[in-house]
Amino acid sequence: MSEVFFENIVKFFGENKIVNNFNLKIRNGDFVSFLGPSGCGKTTCLRMLAGLEENSTGKIFIGNKLVSDPQNNIFIPPEKRKIGMVFQSYAVWPHMNIFDNIAYPLKIAKVDKSEIEKRVNEIIDLVELSGMQKRLPQTLSGGQQQRVALARGLVMQPNVLLLDEPLSNLDAKLREKMRKDIREIQQRLKLTCIYVTHDQIEAFSMSDQIVVMNKGQIIQSGSCDEIKKNPVNDFVKEFIS
Amino acid sequence: MLLKKNILKSISNSKINLESLFLALIVLILILICGYPLILFLYKVFLPTGSLDLTNLKEIFNSSTTFISIKNTLIIGIATVAVSTIIALPLSYILSRTDLKNKKFWKTLFSLPYCIPPYVGAVSWIYLANPSNGLLNDILRFKVFNIYSFIGLVWVLSCFAYTYIFLALNSAFDRMDSSMEEAARLCGASPFRVFREINLPLIFPSLLSGMILVFLSTIASFGVPAMIGTPAQIYLMTTKIYTLQKMGSLNGIYLAGNLAFVLLVISMFFIYLNKLVFKEKSYNLVFGKISKTSELKLQGKKGLVTISLFIIYFIIFILPLIGIIISAFTEIQGDLSLSNWSFINFHKIFFEVSEAPRAFKNSFLLAVFTATITTALGLFLGFIVTKTKFKTNKLVEFLISLTYSTPGSVLAFAFILAFGGRIFGFDFSLYNTLFLIMLAYIAKDMNVSLRTLKDGYNQIDKSLIEAAKISGANWKMIFITMWIPMLKSSIIASWFLVFMPAFSELTMTVLLTGPNLETVGSLLFELKEYSDAGGGTASVLSLIVMTVIILLNFLIKFISKGKYGL
Repeated sequence: MSEVFFENIVKFFGENKIVNNFNLKIRNGDFVSFLGPSGCGKTTCLRMLAGLEENSTGKIFIGNKLVSDPQNNIFIPPEKRKIGMVFQSYAVWPHMNIFDNIAYPLKIAKVDKSEIEKRVNEIIDLVELSGMQKRLPQTLSGGQQQRVALARGLVMQPNVLLLDEPLSNLDAKLREKMRKDIREIQQRLKLTCIYVTHDQIEAFSMSDQIVVMNKGQIIQSGSCDEIKKNPVNDFVKEFIS
Repeated sequence: MLLKKNILKSISNSKINLESLFLALIVLILILICGYPLILFLYKVFLPTGSLDLTNLKEIFNSSTTFISIKNTLIIGIATVAVSTIIALPLSYILSRTDLKNKKFWKTLFSLPYCIPPYVGAVSWIYLANPSNGLLNDILRFKVFNIYSFIGLVWVLSCFAYTYIFLALNSAFDRMDSSMEEAARLCGASPFRVFREINLPLIFPSLLSGMILVFLSTIASFGVPAMIGTPAQIYLMTTKIYTLQKMGSLNGIYLAGNLAFVLLVISMFFIYLNKLVFKEKSYNLVFGKISKTSELKLQGKKGLVTISLFIIYFIIFILPLIGIIISAFTEIQGDLSLSNWSFINFHKIFFEVSEAPRAFKNSFLLAVFTATITTALGLFLGFIVTKTKFKTNKLVEFLISLTYSTPGSVLAFAFILAFGGRIFGFDFSLYNTLFLIMLAYIAKDMNVSLRTLKDGYNQIDKSLIEAAKISGANWKMIFITMWIPMLKSSIIASWFLVFMPAFSELTMTVLLTGPNLETVGSLLFELKEYSDAGGGTASVLSLIVMTVIILLNFLIKFISKGKYGL
């Protein structure tokens, strides 16, 4: 597990400044939520950390490693960053069964076959999908597919686990259970997690730290209590109420 | 007239629903055009004298010339699939999944050959690369290229056929949620590995389907094999059917019929295979809304990729286009000197022979009537198959896709048998009439029209029509005031999508045409086949056909705001 450090990040899409002056330090093992309305730049920040987007200026560190610094032509591609990610759309590959989906990162890392089997099965137990190894994703429910995606993100023992609105396609009851499960797994494995959401209940029920964003900028960042008790302005107050 | 009105009146009075009667009539017409000829074809091929006769079918496999034509067809088909795949797969990936600039523009450019009749390409490549005075050979001062060869034939076919794979892959890539690829990248896979292990398996059903379409279009093609294959003594089944039929002897007709039957069986087998592939392995690649597809960054390689794309496009499309233009504007073929440039070929074809003006008139009339009638039928048939529960719906859709996928040579042959002699025992024949040619076009192009209009019907919410019914509109009013205005863009699209292939049709026309029935396609074919001086004039016709088709394509794209057209 690693800490994460964003330093003066700016991101342009064409003429538009999507993210502006984004500075943030995330402690090792923390569960951090990026909270804000859609289009506020939270997903873009997450994707820049993953290497799926490149920041226009500024530096990003994972642990002590500088992974992106466009001014000095430094850019580590996503496959070299060892980051787990859970997508809103699950992104579970329909042409592989559950086991193969989860084992994919280990196969690429050329881990031993027996070791792969052991680690995948452990993770499958952890996300409560035991016995479904041979099933194809299309035969699973949305919640189960999201657990596959979660397991795939966990199995490689990533530096950071990123979750991009992972629960927004699930129904309310399932969402509640998944919230608890994700938080429990995070605490058990002492994962550094970044969770992107526009749902304040989700953010407050899971996080150690919350980063409230609007229009590409951090409006307020702090623990759940701090933000609840001392919202810095009306935007934060309204958004979390 | 009056009698008819009275009959209709009495029918409506007697409470038989006029709407159903009218729609039943449409279905009947459709079955007559799309079903009857093929049934009669099978009947006459196997029961020529009233009892089952398979001697001709055996003869097909025993006679070396027909058997070789079957073998050639399969080999050329497979080779064209291979070359087309090599062209289309990287193109489609680069133009769908990378951050190259102007991807849409490139896609349009590379899709264009889809709507252009391939025989235009044959005319041009013959000019560029024939062994005696081909322009490329002259420029290189050495006989490097011989278009009259196996490779030449496969090359010209592939320059058009690759679009089937290209378009199928483009839509598969567009439907693919890019988070599938991103997830793999984050798992540690390099871009190439993502392509191999994620993209390729996911688009495989579409790729396979595109490959089957290329194969089907190749084994059904006539113009290119006739212009390039026949001089090289490479006969395909289509060109063999043509020669056998033109022999005029009864035995020739029987052999042609049986060979056509074999071609039909091969086609049907691959169509069935295509259906199977899609049922078995098609993935639902979209999940909800796709926020933004991410693109593979080419970074420093952008220039190299752009130059490669330009070179490929130059060879596939621009070079033949230049060839046709030079050929059309020079009197002595192969001579590039300035004094040789003139409008003499245009003058020759429009003012010195009567065939060309007549061919243009015929093609135009055929295309207008085919487009209008097909679209009118499509309008009602679309309604029938989407909005009613007629027991014939499955049959109607089956027949329409059947005639669409039947190779043109086979379909034309069936129309000659069905309507060329006595019809239903009556002593009157449509042989050597434009009307028969039009019927065959309608049968072939009905599918395009029906598909377009079905899309239109499915997009209209049924509550809109229910509201009209409640307001008191009867079915006629609903058609006039609701369906037709709301389906306007689909109707226009269908009309143009039928007009284009009908205007430039060749494969069926050469079998159905007769004295004074030239079309642009058949005249061009004759010029290429019979006259040595045809080079320049054939290029003039090709240039005109190509211009008309491309202009219509962009017109329909403009009218439909990009939904139809390339």
